[in-house]
Amino acid sequence: MAEYIGMIIPALMQGAVVSVELFCVTLIFSLPLGLVVCLGENSRIRIISLIFKAYVFVFRGTPLMLQLFFFYFFFPINMGIRMTAFATASLTFVLNYAAYFAEIYRGGINSIDRGQYEAAKSLGLSRSQTLFGIILPQTFRVVLPPVSNEVIVLIKDTALASSIALVDIMRVSQKIVNRDGSLVAYVIAAALYLVFTFFMTVILTRLEKRFSRYDEQSA
Amino acid sequence: MAILEMKNIVKNFGGLSAVNGVSLSVEKGETVAIIGPSGSGKSTLLRCINCLERIDGGEITLRGERFAWEENGRTVYLPEKELKRISAETGMVFQHFNLFPHMTCLENITYAPVKVKGVPKAQAEKTGMELLEKVGLADKRDQYPGRLSGGQKQRVAIARGLAMNPEIMLFDEPTSALDPEITGEVLQVMKELSQADTTMVVVTHEMGFAKEVSDKVVFMNSGKIEEQGDPLEIFNAPKSTRLKEFLSSVVSA
Repeated sequence: MAEYIGMIIPALMQGAVVSVELFCVTLIFSLPLGLVVCLGENSRIRIISLIFKAYVFVFRGTPLMLQLFFFYFFFPINMGIRMTAFATASLTFVLNYAAYFAEIYRGGINSIDRGQYEAAKSLGLSRSQTLFGIILPQTFRVVLPPVSNEVIVLIKDTALASSIALVDIMRVSQKIVNRDGSLVAYVIAAALYLVFTFFMTVILTRLEKRFSRYDEQSA
Repeated sequence: MAILEMKNIVKNFGGLSAVNGVSLSVEKGETVAIIGPSGSGKSTLLRCINCLERIDGGEITLRGERFAWEENGRTVYLPEKELKRISAETGMVFQHFNLFPHMTCLENITYAPVKVKGVPKAQAEKTGMELLEKVGLADKRDQYPGRLSGGQKQRVAIARGLAMNPEIMLFDEPTSALDPEITGEVLQVMKELSQADTTMVVVTHEMGFAKEVSDKVVFMNSGKIEEQGDPLEIFNAPKSTRLKEFLSSVVSA
């Protein structure tokens, strides 16, 4: 048994690295892109706000799996562009998650007290000084819990990329199970997902603690 | 010369008239208290001074500069950029403090002078510390507002307003959200400001403060100024029945 595990572990770890890479790329690009989308939605120029709202509507309203398949065929067939499975998966995940993050940010911004805007205005701060100096830092604190939740969901969503032939941990374990007729690979994959989830939960909880340092003390 | 001159101010919310033809002038160094029942338009009038509300009629002049007036039956304001400069001449203290919770007390005070006026950070911090000392909270410089009591928050908010070195300080019911036993510390700070000839307009329910500290008391009722004058006159010899009723209801409460 130990010998079997030792034999399949290298392949599984390789798959795990691909999963983690997809996870990281998605977060690095979708977290800031979500902010751009959110600000776009709040734009005073109607057409811009409409475009971004439509974008969020489409990407939140359709299955991630469908979006993956769409881009998987869209680029080579309709655009004549060859893209690796990893690039296609990254692009789809970034676009999809940015839409979700945008909505989380929007809720966060709306939750900031009107008095904060009034105080900023009465001090003569400009719109952008108010947004970047006063509103967004507070929003960051408010949106951290829902963003954390999405981050945990993303860990597991990366498995969907195996459906467009990305050799992530999901696909590797699936192959091994089919080949060997043993569920051990699935168990190890599950354990790796859990370790990663645990690791991220610890980091996110720390972040939340750090950013709650200015919260009201209950008397 | 009057620092603030408001003429025939009209402000409506939807079909509702909040302020209806109010004229008010404030001299340099003067402390004006605005009193009156809830919904009489006191706060709205105050918020028109620093453009938190836009007037629907009348004109406002601050330090000789007219920034809102009527033209062909419509109210016009100076361009946004000019307004920003003019409203920075006013400091505002809110009922609910509205301190920035993600900044320490000192950062709350220095943020606007550095960003808006381009004051060097070191100098802004020096002034900020002087102001914190003035309101008796120098030891709280690195505390976040969430750790302070209501009275302390309001004193920091006053220091924040003063940091912009405004021509006129506006107070919108500064003690209404505070426990009765801590209103005193805020009123004390305001009293000292008044004695140092800071120009102040204070919307308040603190009759003691209006009577003892202010130079002029304005009584508002249903969007109009019902009576105004010397505090002694207003409190000891009210003329209008509405003011008499109001005073007796406040005293008995």
